[in-house]
Amino acid sequence: MFETKSLMVLIPALPLAAAIIVGLLGRRWLKEYSHVPVVLALAGSCVFSLLLLKDISNREPDAKQVGVEVTHTLWTWAAIPAAGVTTPQIKATPNFQIDITLRADPLTCMMLPMVTFIATLVAIYAMGYMHGDPGYWRFYAYVGLFVFSMTMLVSVSNFALLYVFWEAVGVCSYLLIGFWFEKPEAAAAGKKAFLVNRVGDFGFAFGLFLIWVSFGTLNFHDAGDVQGVLGQTLLANPARYAEIITGSVALAIPLLLMVGACGKSAQFPLHVWLPDAMEGPTPVSALIHAATMVTAGVYMVTRCSPLFMLDPRAQLVVACIGGFTALLAGLIALTQTDLKRVLAYSTVSQLGYMFLALGTGSLAGIVAGMFHLFTHAFFKALLFLGAGSVMHGMHHIIDMRRFSGLRRVMPWTCLTFLIGSLALAGIVPLAGFWSKDQVLAAVHDRAHDGGPFVYLYYSAVLTAFLTAFYTARAFFMTFMGPLVVPHEVGDHAHESPPAMVFPLVVLAICSIFVGITFDHSLGDFIVRTPSLACTLVAGEHGLEHHFHWDIAAISTVVAVLGIAIAAYFYLGDRRQINALTRIMQGVRLYGLSNRKFFFDEIYHVLFVLPLKGLAALSYLIDRWLVDGLVNLCGWIPRAVGAVLRNIQTGVVQFYALAMVLGLALLIGTLLVWKVG
Amino acid sequence: MNDPFVFTLLLPLVGTMLVAAFGSTSHVGARITALIVSLVTLLFASRVTLAWLGGHPYEIDVPWFSNAAIDIRFNLGLDGLSVWMFALSALLTVTAILVSWEAIKDRAALFYSMLLLLETGMLGCFAARDIILFYVFFEFTLIPLFFLIGIWGSEERRYAAIKFFLYTLAGSMLTFLGLLAIVLWVYDQTGREQMTFSIAKLVAALGEHPLPLNLQLTLFVALFAGFAIKVPLFPLHTWLPLAHVQAPTAGSVILAGILLKIGTYGFLRFSLPMLPDATVTAMPCVLVLSGAGIIYGALVALAQGDMKRLIAYSSVSHLGYCMLGIFALNKLGMQGGALQMINHGLSTGGLFAVIGMVYERYHTRQIADLGGLARRTPMLAVCMLLFTFSSIGLPGLNGFAGEFLILTGMFQRAWSDAPAIYQATWMTIAVAGVFGVVLGAWYMLWLVERVFFGPLKEPGGHAPAPAAHGHGSHDHHGHAAAAHDDHSAIHDLNFREAVALVPLVVFMFWIGLVPQTFLAPMAPELDKVEAIVAKAYAKHDWKSVAKTEDELNHRDAEDAEKKTEMKIVNVVDQLPERGGE
Repeated sequence: MFETKSLMVLIPALPLAAAIIVGLLGRRWLKEYSHVPVVLALAGSCVFSLLLLKDISNREPDAKQVGVEVTHTLWTWAAIPAAGVTTPQIKATPNFQIDITLRADPLTCMMLPMVTFIATLVAIYAMGYMHGDPGYWRFYAYVGLFVFSMTMLVSVSNFALLYVFWEAVGVCSYLLIGFWFEKPEAAAAGKKAFLVNRVGDFGFAFGLFLIWVSFGTLNFHDAGDVQGVLGQTLLANPARYAEIITGSVALAIPLLLMVGACGKSAQFPLHVWLPDAMEGPTPVSALIHAATMVTAGVYMVTRCSPLFMLDPRAQLVVACIGGFTALLAGLIALTQTDLKRVLAYSTVSQLGYMFLALGTGSLAGIVAGMFHLFTHAFFKALLFLGAGSVMHGMHHIIDMRRFSGLRRVMPWTCLTFLIGSLALAGIVPLAGFWSKDQVLAAVHDRAHDGGPFVYLYYSAVLTAFLTAFYTARAFFMTFMGPLVVPHEVGDHAHESPPAMVFPLVVLAICSIFVGITFDHSLGDFIVRTPSLACTLVAGEHGLEHHFHWDIAAISTVVAVLGIAIAAYFYLGDRRQINALTRIMQGVRLYGLSNRKFFFDEIYHVLFVLPLKGLAALSYLIDRWLVDGLVNLCGWIPRAVGAVLRNIQTGVVQFYALAMVLGLALLIGTLLVWKVG
Repeated sequence: MNDPFVFTLLLPLVGTMLVAAFGSTSHVGARITALIVSLVTLLFASRVTLAWLGGHPYEIDVPWFSNAAIDIRFNLGLDGLSVWMFALSALLTVTAILVSWEAIKDRAALFYSMLLLLETGMLGCFAARDIILFYVFFEFTLIPLFFLIGIWGSEERRYAAIKFFLYTLAGSMLTFLGLLAIVLWVYDQTGREQMTFSIAKLVAALGEHPLPLNLQLTLFVALFAGFAIKVPLFPLHTWLPLAHVQAPTAGSVILAGILLKIGTYGFLRFSLPMLPDATVTAMPCVLVLSGAGIIYGALVALAQGDMKRLIAYSSVSHLGYCMLGIFALNKLGMQGGALQMINHGLSTGGLFAVIGMVYERYHTRQIADLGGLARRTPMLAVCMLLFTFSSIGLPGLNGFAGEFLILTGMFQRAWSDAPAIYQATWMTIAVAGVFGVVLGAWYMLWLVERVFFGPLKEPGGHAPAPAAHGHGSHDHHGHAAAAHDDHSAIHDLNFREAVALVPLVVFMFWIGLVPQTFLAPMAPELDKVEAIVAKAYAKHDWKSVAKTEDELNHRDAEDAEKKTEMKIVNVVDQLPERGGE
């Protein structure tokens, strides 16, 4: 019915159009109907994404092609003829040219329906959650803009444009975190998110420029005789990569790209912005800071797999960052009392899991990472929306110490949250189980060879235990036990309206089934992405499906153990946990976790203060040294004048004397000159 | 056929008198006349620009002071280098008049006359194709701005005006001497028949009879003195923050938007094509200064409590990018630098306009006095946010296009086409350029957060800034509530202000989304310049340069001036003999 190319354009165009309509008409005319264009557009995008998915999955790669890809060029963003680079390895690329090109390949087609589907549900949910907010129209305009940017991010076929939309989603995130800009914490959190992301973008941009100087193009795809960085020509002959980028650059490019990914996906050491981002409205946390935007880093690393494959050290760094972040965030989540922050750290931790999987450098690992991204999107969005539902009922109080036993007043929220928690904990047969199993299996495969992956494997298992524990803890503290509601709420505690419950139910159903349904098919589909189909990545064997009984058993035992221990501590009376807390406080471990390992404070002392000091110092130098020198120059004529002014006494005798002396001096000099 | 061009240049000049005539009694007459004149000028300027883009350029070429020996011509025309700055000058003048609408009531007729006079200077400066004519217009821009700052400025206006005037004048004198020396050299080399001042002819002649390297270096320093101060390149920038802070809003808009670009324009128009060998020799130095300026300007901006001074220092940083691009001496960098000239004009011009609007409402420029204005003036906040995003190089808006090209160009220069001795330095500079983007986001977002977000905080009453300090920032809420009555007159963006800002926003998006529209017309002219310097770059002996450069560092501008003078004296001595023949 629709051509592939028009589908590719329509998917991002609809949310953009809706955002523009709401942005222009929302304040005056649409007001409380501002959701209509956005919800319709997102639903439309979702349908088109599914059509595109069907289209792409029906295509078989022909023999000449690596993977499946369709590209569609819209217009030329910038073209500077004869400005290309020449290196000994590549023949001169004639032009600097950046086209606005969209692409559709299995990786893109996996991301698009997921993004638009969750976005649609979140937009529906926000009809209830944001109801009555004075910035209602603004919210929907931003959401439309975000979905446009996110769909473009996964559809563009050029590093420069990837950077463009990478920043664009960052701006939407900035605007949405600071949505309630009158709250100083929200405004500060927005700024912090933007700046930490900018540090990541610094790495990304640096890497991008290195790609330009090495490859002479920023395209993914081949265009004319310009061979794209991830284009068919290079992927068909991956040995060329090692010729084009050599030595330190081959390591620098993936590491710098990883810095960018760390910023966007909140990985250590740039993870500090994501928990603060919870200042934004909860639907935003679900959509942007759990399901979609934060996974952009994982998407990017997957997309650039061939570049990461060139140096095993780069893969190891990715795996270590992922493994370490997963453990670190898991430890912090243990003691947080803000429900949304528990979920935020859990997101950081799960993203770490994905990077760990990507860092194994095997096709199975990459597929596992993407699969975990996929399942995580559903159950984490579900958990956040559930937390939002709690906030809605509790009048925006989210401190778990102030309420409990909410299962009585919020049965639907409780049930769906339970499903989400079990999925996150990795209980059979919910979504998280299947993807976590794949991740652990991929790491375990690498651990056979010994080395760091052994430790990474054990840390991943430990993280799985922590995940089960803190998730169960959050569930028990919120929904179990005697009914307690904050006094501000009085007896108004209530279940959320249908607009909010409906998305919860849909996501809960998804969280049950997406794991088992797509366990194999998702992997089989995305390995046909050119970047992954290339032999550099795919290796000799391609993707094989095993079910790892041993690992499944271990992860299940660990998860059940985590939940059981949490139940022991948090159900019934809390004497044991209080005692444990005191012990931990005694050995200073509790504070370490509760205060997030003091990263904010360390960064403040290490980076913010020195930079501010340097800024103040520069200003002093500017005022007194640089400007002082200028003023000194300005003073010279004046000083000379001041000296000369004294001679102008008006006494005629002095002038006469001066004339005679001057004449004498002149004649004397002349004489000396002539004689000498 | 040449009418629109003549009109564009003459109208503001005539307008000066009209404003004086209609505005002698009330400021209303003055501002309406000025607005109409500037709008009609904009119309004609657009027609000239569009005609040029359409391939039917207008040109004026009239002998001015021309005889057998000397040929100074009244020669005006556009080319790729000047076309956008020419159009932007006409556009920003309208903005400048609109933002002064309510602010200037004292001696309004004189004010608007000066503004229109300034417009003539700017338009002429970019359209001039003759060195003398260029210099006349170049100096022509100084005097009106001197008065704009000196009469309608803030507390320290006199000091600022004098500093601005003397600093730039001192530099431009050297530039003029340098340009004259070039003219005389060409005269000397081309058979001494007729002394030409035409820029195009000079460039062509210098291609055949290049100046010796030592003389080129001397002249480069002389030209550099004027242009680098104008840009302003670190560390010659200290006049700028002062002038910006003290200038009335219109002055800041024009200064940031157009006048600074005359410096970078001068480099592209004169230094690079006429003195290519010296350019290549000086390139490492200029790159270091640009890179240092980017970081330094951003750091100092971070330490500011005054909105205008913050933006002024951000200009130092942004102009550092322009210079970095231009002196990367490759196509990408130069096109990026040229594009960034327009971008900075739009975004910083817009930022100064918005801050002027805030100042009009609250009579303070102190960041600490303000907060949460997004609640009170939402549309103004939206504009501020857009200009900020443009300024910090957010993709989709214009700033990104320029910075991206500049940095790509610089990386290309440093990584794939650099002499071994400088490669490490240039790589460092390129990375510093990328890091400057992080700092840029920091100070701009900090400004926006403090002034527009957070709880509403307004200085008490409409008293001028010093009085506002008394209220301090104790209890936010009580204060805001108390201030509510005082500020009930504070309104959001009105129609006039919207009209002033919207064109800038439109162009910001246009350049951001399709920069090709703006790059393509500039390309041919920039390519010519690039070809000249690329040739010089290719044959440059980098090893011996290291020595020459050390010498150069010891030489100061004064030396340069003396030598230039001596050279001129030598040639001038021989003038009458030939003239008599």
